[in-house]
Amino acid sequence: DRQTLVAVLQFLRRSNLRESEEILRREARLLGDDLGGNVATVATSSPGVAAVAAVPPGKGEARGDCGVGPSSGREPRGVGSPVSSPSSKITHSGDVIGGAVAVEDQPDVSAVLSAYNQQGDPTLYEEYYSGLKHFIECSLDCHRAELSQLFYPLFVHMYLELVYNQHESEAKSFFERFHGDQECYYQDDLRVLSSLTKKEHMKGNETMLDFRTSKFVLRISRDSYQLLKRHLQEKQNNQIWNIVQEHLYIDIFDGMPRSKQQIDAMVGSLAGEAKREANKAKVFFGLLKEPEFDVPLDDEDEEGENEEGKPKKKKPKKDNVGSKSKKQDPNAPPQNRIPLPELKDSDKLDKVMNMKEAARRVRLGPECLPSICFYTFLNAYQGLTAVDITDDSSMIVGGFADSTVRVWSVTPKKLRSVKTAADLSLIDKESDDVLERIMDEKTASELKILYGHSGPVYGTSFSPDRNYLLSCSEDGTVRLWSLQTFTCLVGYKGHNYPVWDTQFSPYGYYFVSGGHDRVARLWATDHYQPLRIFAGHLADVTCTRFHPNSNYIATGSADRTIRLWDVLNGNCVRIFTGHKGPIHSLAFSPNGRFLATGATDGRVLLWDIGHGLMVGELKGHTDTIYALRFSRDGEILASGSMDNTVRLWDAVKAFEDLETDDFTTATGHINLPENSQDLLLGTYMTKSTPVVHLHFTRRNLLLAAGAYSSQ
Amino acid sequence: MEAAKMASPKSAPKDAQVMAQILKDMGITEYEPRVINQMLEFAYRYVTTILEDAKIYSSHAKKSSVDADDVRLAIQCRTDQSFTSPPPRDFLLDIARQKNQTPLPLIKPYSGPRLPPDRYCLTAPNYRLKSLQKKVSSTAGRITVPRLSVGAVSSRPSTPTLGTPSGQAVSVSAKVGAPVSLAGQRFTVQIPSSQPAGKSATPTTPTVQNVLINPSLIGPKNILITTNMVPPGAADPNPLKRKHEDDDDYDAL
Repeated sequence: DRQTLVAVLQFLRRSNLRESEEILRREARLLGDDLGGNVATVATSSPGVAAVAAVPPGKGEARGDCGVGPSSGREPRGVGSPVSSPSSKITHSGDVIGGAVAVEDQPDVSAVLSAYNQQGDPTLYEEYYSGLKHFIECSLDCHRAELSQLFYPLFVHMYLELVYNQHESEAKSFFERFHGDQECYYQDDLRVLSSLTKKEHMKGNETMLDFRTSKFVLRISRDSYQLLKRHLQEKQNNQIWNIVQEHLYIDIFDGMPRSKQQIDAMVGSLAGEAKREANKAKVFFGLLKEPEFDVPLDDEDEEGENEEGKPKKKKPKKDNVGSKSKKQDPNAPPQNRIPLPELKDSDKLDKVMNMKEAARRVRLGPECLPSICFYTFLNAYQGLTAVDITDDSSMIVGGFADSTVRVWSVTPKKLRSVKTAADLSLIDKESDDVLERIMDEKTASELKILYGHSGPVYGTSFSPDRNYLLSCSEDGTVRLWSLQTFTCLVGYKGHNYPVWDTQFSPYGYYFVSGGHDRVARLWATDHYQPLRIFAGHLADVTCTRFHPNSNYIATGSADRTIRLWDVLNGNCVRIFTGHKGPIHSLAFSPNGRFLATGATDGRVLLWDIGHGLMVGELKGHTDTIYALRFSRDGEILASGSMDNTVRLWDAVKAFEDLETDDFTTATGHINLPENSQDLLLGTYMTKSTPVVHLHFTRRNLLLAAGAYSSQ
Repeated sequence: MEAAKMASPKSAPKDAQVMAQILKDMGITEYEPRVINQMLEFAYRYVTTILEDAKIYSSHAKKSSVDADDVRLAIQCRTDQSFTSPPPRDFLLDIARQKNQTPLPLIKPYSGPRLPPDRYCLTAPNYRLKSLQKKVSSTAGRITVPRLSVGAVSSRPSTPTLGTPSGQAVSVSAKVGAPVSLAGQRFTVQIPSSQPAGKSATPTTPTVQNVLINPSLIGPKNILITTNMVPPGAADPNPLKRKHEDDDDYDAL
């Protein structure tokens, strides 16, 4: 505040407003020229200064218009927004260079003033940028890779600054000259940028506005940072330094500068990398304990021991469905951390079935690969947009671009709806097979079509108890369908824009949805409004998944980051950067410790949730990966992609031997081994069917689904 | 559908060539041929709308010709109207903070299907029945010929249960499915009074009440049965009356 007061005093003095200056000085009780310290963080006080700067009655001639006006036209800013200096500009007429306005004998204040003079001289932007470029290219090799990270954010911010201040021709020539220098993985962004040439274009583009107001995070070692700072501060024009301070957040670490390879693995997102504190929160990635209950030892028909009709001794066997140890896993959340629905009798029966199937499960490994059964949707005419399969693999649902949702039965048992109320009253409720009797035989069919949405259906999800189906669509709603009556029960309205993905919680009752409005929402089936809103992404949320313990939600976004959110309080606990394209698939490992993600860049990245680090990179696919799934015990990771292949990767090997010593976790550096080829267990090609969904049955048979496309 | 080749320069009109070039500049290389037509149609429609609006604004401001300001205003108004964009980030962060402060609600056990309150569900019937406000004269001694017009007010799975419109014995069971609550409804059924002269063996069921249905209160799974009681006692006027009531019955709402 003091700095700004001093700055205003200087301004008044320069404008020859001696009286005002005296009054202000008296009021502020400043004696003499007190120039004080360094470049101030001017951010918070700028609205105040804007008001004060409007006070000196327009000394029109020399100072042009005190153009404080533009601040009002901007997007409404939250109170805590750290970036506000662009909002108050004192436009100087003529071509006065901002930094060089520096009254020679008062360099510090000029720095403050120049912060308000953001636009500087548009024609000199190119010079600033090429000056920096020259400096970085001449620096030492070890520092060059790190400092090169500056190019892209600086380029974009300077370009946006020029566009915002309506210097169209300068912006265009700036773009022409420097866009070729940027890294190849930013090309998509640059293409979007090239179409933004006027200020009006920016208004509708929320992603670009978010980019301007959020800080791009860079991780630079202390040595490189010192080098940069020294260079920028010794030059008289502090324009670049101002931009760096305003728009970039430099996360300094002590240690060796990173190599280009290490940097390339982690960068790529729209907001730079993740700050180290962002990934420091404790995450309970363990699984919840399964409840114990008595499992009757029932007749094993196949065993055929008692075929003679000998009375079998049915001893109820106490079976520990859950973990054997009585101790609480320190990494697992407490049972009642979030309220979960209690187990109904039908759920218990389901669990028994699950256990029995698990006993017959095939153990997979590099020597024992799963068989793959592919369900091809014919005659979909490129309209298949979402697929899901129930956990017991009995039903498959397809969401289509014609807004229908179609459910098929995959087993010989057909789909039936319940009888009407009158018929229901006639049946004997005490009979053993009442669950069969409530079903109406007349409505049995293999396919049920559900109508209701008014736009393409982009996401579908079965509930774990197979009673409900969710579907989300471009019309902005998420619909809950009953699978017993095959009618729509509820339409959840909240996103007013296309909803790209939805998923039920592994325990039912909760579900998550993510859409074009850049947020993910947590709902419960019995609340018509969301319970939690997860806001923070810079671009659309394209993929949402629950953690197996239902306490965390992972969201992948078009801003090329993955965020992990805590259901309890809505906080973002992890940010994972590294993908170079929008993320389209996420998969948690069954033990809850790891996350696999796939994006349009064709790479699968593996993340350790506990430490918040990237632990693996699987290269091989050549097109967007739309499906990722771990096998039931986590030994194999299957990935399906638009390049018409399914690939199997060795998950056990990928996650073993993790070097997570203190240095790594402190600095977040990783040294990824180039072992994609070793981990690849098999590539299976379809003729021309992109793979949209993967599912491991309870016995570890891999099911895949896709729509046949004839081109 | 085959992947499109770009329109060959020789045969395509200039607009289509420009549109193809725009698509190429934006990095779109594969598209169906009708995309160009759709884009051209959109562009034409958008520009026409904007210019028409600009003309209106210009004439409102009593200007002689349309200038850039009018066009700018027209664009701005249309953008706010048709091309809304998602809310800005700080707004989202704000409402997220508010929403995330409330603790997660506890889950009631044993509560059946967990759905929001009925008014937020799509389970209500999407049609209404015309309410019958008929006074029934309960003079005894008349031979009543009941006719049943059955309307099913149910939406979920149940198809309407038709009570058979039998002449004499009408065992109307105003049966409503168990799980439905009839709270707040007056729902009574008219049952014909007993036939004299031993026509039937049914015992006298003297319940004669008016059927008063307030359709807006009807909840799911209700079965509504109305009986149209027409005492045919009085000879001549009655058939006519009945006919009148017939028409009445089938009058459109």
